[in-house]
Amino acid sequence: MSERDRRRLVFATLAVALPLALLAALSLGSVPLAAGGVLRSAFARLGLGGPSPLPEMGEVILWSVRFPRVLIAALVGGGLAVVGASLQSLFRNPLADAGLLGVGPGAALGAVLAVNLGWAHERFLAMPLAACAGALLALLLIYAIAHAGGRPTLSGLLLTGLAVSALAAAGTSVLLVATEEFRVRTVLFWLAGGLEGRGYEHLALAAAFVLPGALGLLLLARPLDVLSLGEEEAAALSLPVHGVRILVFGLCALVAGPVTAVAGAVPFVGLIAPHALRALVGPLSRRLLPASFLAGAVLVVVADIAARSFGEYVELPLGSVTAFVGAPYFLLALRGQEGRG
Amino acid sequence: MASLNLTADELLVEMLPPERLVSVTRWADDPDMSNVAGRVPAGAVRLPRADLERLIALRPDLVIVSEYTDADFLRLLEKSGLRHHRMTGLETLPGIRAAILDLGRAVAAETAAARLVARYDAVLAELTRRLAGAPRPRVLYWADPHTAGAATAIGSLVEAAGGTNVARELGLRGIVPLAGERAFGADPDTFLVTQGSGASTALRAHPLLSRTRAVREGRVVEMPNRLLVALSDRAADAAWWLASRLHPSRVPEAAPPPMLP
Repeated sequence: MSERDRRRLVFATLAVALPLALLAALSLGSVPLAAGGVLRSAFARLGLGGPSPLPEMGEVILWSVRFPRVLIAALVGGGLAVVGASLQSLFRNPLADAGLLGVGPGAALGAVLAVNLGWAHERFLAMPLAACAGALLALLLIYAIAHAGGRPTLSGLLLTGLAVSALAAAGTSVLLVATEEFRVRTVLFWLAGGLEGRGYEHLALAAAFVLPGALGLLLLARPLDVLSLGEEEAAALSLPVHGVRILVFGLCALVAGPVTAVAGAVPFVGLIAPHALRALVGPLSRRLLPASFLAGAVLVVVADIAARSFGEYVELPLGSVTAFVGAPYFLLALRGQEGRG
Repeated sequence: MASLNLTADELLVEMLPPERLVSVTRWADDPDMSNVAGRVPAGAVRLPRADLERLIALRPDLVIVSEYTDADFLRLLEKSGLRHHRMTGLETLPGIRAAILDLGRAVAAETAAARLVARYDAVLAELTRRLAGAPRPRVLYWADPHTAGAATAIGSLVEAAGGTNVARELGLRGIVPLAGERAFGADPDTFLVTQGSGASTALRAHPLLSRTRAVREGRVVEMPNRLLVALSDRAADAAWWLASRLHPSRVPEAAPPPMLP
């Protein structure tokens, strides 16, 4: 099979897998709904075909609870995968992902603060908005500190991110210890990653950042490819290296921050999807980014089904499901990379 | 009516005819946690967790949630067409009384709620009468490393049982951690711990707290969990139980009589 045919097959597979995963996610849950009924209900909503065959209770479950949740899962997965793919090109390291940005600990600090002050229990969207603000503040702090002594190197930016992350994590620990036991449970579920209780407003919050952010990164596909050749080579090709780097970094944080705010920590998605696809669709960002978005979306939608179906007493944290899959993959990839090195 | 917290489980079992109780939490049948274990109507679904999809399928008229249910979940409940009633103010004994009456109004069981409150008031009034003029031992609740300061049900329980809450004296508020050195320095007369939690053994093995007067002289009260966490009308029984340990000469160990007016 030629490379071109293989790429087409990969895109076709992903294009079929995503709607199938979405349909499965809409059908499966505490109250199972027949896939055919779900489809006919969707057509009925679009004014196509006859009335929905689902009972009123099924309609409420499908459109008030599952539909926004499943779309958020797709956006979270797609967003994290695009961020991972972009950062892997930027850092020229196939094992880079959103964890390098420092937005996760910033978001966690914001979320814990919202719980500690009681906002999360009193005000709608308080926790995701506080998490989003924490993520963006962490980003601004990293940017300001890194640029205090002039234009930073890539490693300087990375190390500043690590330091700010450590600071935010320390603040989170202090707040957690000072937070009432009952309130801590709320934030623990959020920190472990999950989509239970997320509705259309959370979907709007995620979509408002993920879609334009991912599109922005896709528009930077060519500069990203040039950057992946190395900074000196990129500069020799007249690329404004510093400006592009900051733009990519900023767009990645803009996607990863709200995603973390809505879903908590969902590790390894940004690593697995682009890493696996690079071998199939090639390293060019204009192909890798959209393929990663689709694969990340499928991965998180399926992981959410697994999280929901784990048991009757508890919904498994989404972040644990992706980590159970991602950590072994990461170790294998690391071994492979060391073997090549 | 669907309940999403143990306090509501206990109150609704007392207030409602069995057919009106659609669901309870899975803890309602647990004798270690629940004061109505064995009395929950068989027809009520035991919800393992706050599962919105199953709640919608049960189609309750009202969902009883706790103060700590987060606002995003409540919005989703509303959007799914489910009304909710939030129980608040359970951190004090008067707050629990008000919450019982409030719940009674919400579920249209005012008479049953008034009956529960009448007994609650009677038990607490009898306790106050028996404890009048008694010296108040200084009690420290200990769930290593947490304690219960001001504005907590456990703190209120200690005070109603004729004790002084040491954590409140220390200026603490809420269920918060307390450093072992500070607890040692506070020198409580009695430690209050949860029965069966291993806290009593841990206290005796603690390098510092094992040397406190209270531990050395064996004044560690192990309270059954179902009473310690009771935020329903059973909080009065919990106060009685604790008072019988702190003031055995004034309060008999037996459970308080019904004391119906």
